[in-house]
Amino acid sequence: MYLGLKEMAHEKLRYALLTGVMLLIALVVFILAGLANGLSQGNRLAVDQWHADNVYLNQQANKSIAGSQLTTDVTKSVTADKLAPMNIASTVLRRTGTNKKINVALIGTTKDAFLIPKLLHGRKPTKTNEIIVSQDLWDRGMKLGDKIKLGQLTQTQTVVGSYGHNMYSITPTIYTDLATVAKIQQGNLRPNQALPIAAVVTAGDSKLKNSSNLQKLSMPDFINHLPGYTAEQTTLNAMIYFLFTMSLAIIGIFMYVLVLQKQALFGVLKVEGIGTGYILASVVTQAIIMSTIGVVVGLGLTTLFGAFAPTNMPFALDFPRLIIDAILLVLAATVGALLSGRTIARINPVAAIN
Amino acid sequence: MENVLELKNVSKQFGSGHVAVTALHDVNFSITPGQFVTIIGPSGSGKSTFLTIAAGLQTPTSGQVLLNGHDLSAQSEKQRLRDRFAHVGFILQGSNLIPYLTVAEQFKLVDRLTHQKFQREEMRHLLDRLDLSKLENNYPNELSGGERQRVAIAKALFHDPDIVLADEPTASLDSARSFDVVKRLISEAHDLNKAIIMVTHDERLTKDSDAVYRIEDGQMTEF
Ligand SMILES: Nc1ncnc2c1ncn2[C@@H]1O[C@H](COP(=O)(O)OP(=O)(O)O)[C@@H](O)[C@H]1O
Ligand SMILES: [Mg+2]
Repeated sequence: MYLGLKEMAHEKLRYALLTGVMLLIALVVFILAGLANGLSQGNRLAVDQWHADNVYLNQQANKSIAGSQLTTDVTKSVTADKLAPMNIASTVLRRTGTNKKINVALIGTTKDAFLIPKLLHGRKPTKTNEIIVSQDLWDRGMKLGDKIKLGQLTQTQTVVGSYGHNMYSITPTIYTDLATVAKIQQGNLRPNQALPIAAVVTAGDSKLKNSSNLQKLSMPDFINHLPGYTAEQTTLNAMIYFLFTMSLAIIGIFMYVLVLQKQALFGVLKVEGIGTGYILASVVTQAIIMSTIGVVVGLGLTTLFGAFAPTNMPFALDFPRLIIDAILLVLAATVGALLSGRTIARINPVAAIN
Repeated sequence: MENVLELKNVSKQFGSGHVAVTALHDVNFSITPGQFVTIIGPSGSGKSTFLTIAAGLQTPTSGQVLLNGHDLSAQSEKQRLRDRFAHVGFILQGSNLIPYLTVAEQFKLVDRLTHQKFQREEMRHLLDRLDLSKLENNYPNELSGGERQRVAIAKALFHDPDIVLADEPTASLDSARSFDVVKRLISEAHDLNKAIIMVTHDERLTKDSDAVYRIEDGQMTEF
């Protein structure tokens, strides 16, 4: 250890550069993790805030809400502690008197549905053409009583309440009634038509009453089949795992090259009775110190980045996960350094005497 | 007087069949505390092989090596490493100083390895004897070749080894400095009662030795 530390202190530039490489890898890992988490939240926050236990979709929908077409009468086939029909549509919001357009996810349900998020301002909608909006829209200057237009609808909507940060498909959400969502999807409705829905959402115990065309999904199953969700998460996580391997390889290769350069010196140490164990320990200590410094500085910079990241970038730090990633990076560097063990063990002290 | 190191009928062969090289042939050797012994021979005669076998870095093909009366071949490699660290000092051809440690830190490392407090006084005593007291905080590349070898001598003697093995310690020095290094090795052996073996191919350096062995083609003779 003493040896490794003294060498680092003496060869500052060399080891600082290597620490810099570790820092860059750590930074990329943490930012990717932040993006993965941000994208995940942007996709699922609305669903998480339902506090639901199951979602029933059309059997033919292949577990994807985008492919599930149902009507309100299917709610009769499900018994549950709490139950709500739900429909969802992507649309564009425009505040009257302005031309500014915002993409939103419009979620329709019944008036007293359990899945409506807890309000921060105002009240729940009680009649058609009343909506409540998420904090994300509130932050952009929307307030109670605002009049807005949704998509091609001619009727003006009135903001009567707002709830916390809530996203679906990386867009802010709006809650409204089922009829409004149906009109966004289909234009005008026929009189007495059964309203279209995408899913029946339940909380507590629930089961299908009789044979129907519904399929019961757990929440993780439902979320994994949200459009694009699994693909995004697997891609980003694959990149992160790849970077762990890269940090292992980079530290491994660098330490190996340094060991090769110092073979003669290590041979001399062995002549004097300093064993492979001590030499390897100082090499590993160096790797741990460099990767720890790189990772800690990386965490700092990532936090800073999070604070200044553009608001339209889905970036959210999940600190428990970052800590795990940080530990994995240091572990990878340690393993990389350990790979030099065989080379050190093979250095023959006899070669130092010639 | 007890022998610190004794080689009995030691032979060392490399390879086998018609490519076999006999580096040492039936070598007998012994040294007692306070003795300065020179082994002289041309390049390729077996000097380094002798030193590595004496230090337990290689095992002889036949014969016995006794360090403080213990048979090295009866010991595990780990035990030999430990004994070498505790009882044998080395001075190598170039320099066995670690480039990124100051003179004092070279000594400190030894104490770190044995988990004991740095024996600064012992180091200062040795450095004083070798006229190095002002160089404690210098790095090896800030020293002259002669100073480096003197530091190597002090380091080899640190913590009271039973024997010091010097492999051509003057190879990189001019003749004035070579004579100085040999003179100092001799006085360390006599004053500190150490057994010191110096291997060299320079005839001029042998004149004040307590014993001189000549080695040629692996055959060692005393004269
Ligand atoms: N590991 C080895 N393998 C084969 N031959 C060796 C080996 N080590 C030494 N030799 C041979 O043994 C002889 C003595 O070598 P060495 O002890 O290094 O001589 P010196 O130190 O006197 O120059 C030489 O002929 C050398 O080529
Ligand atoms: Mg030699």
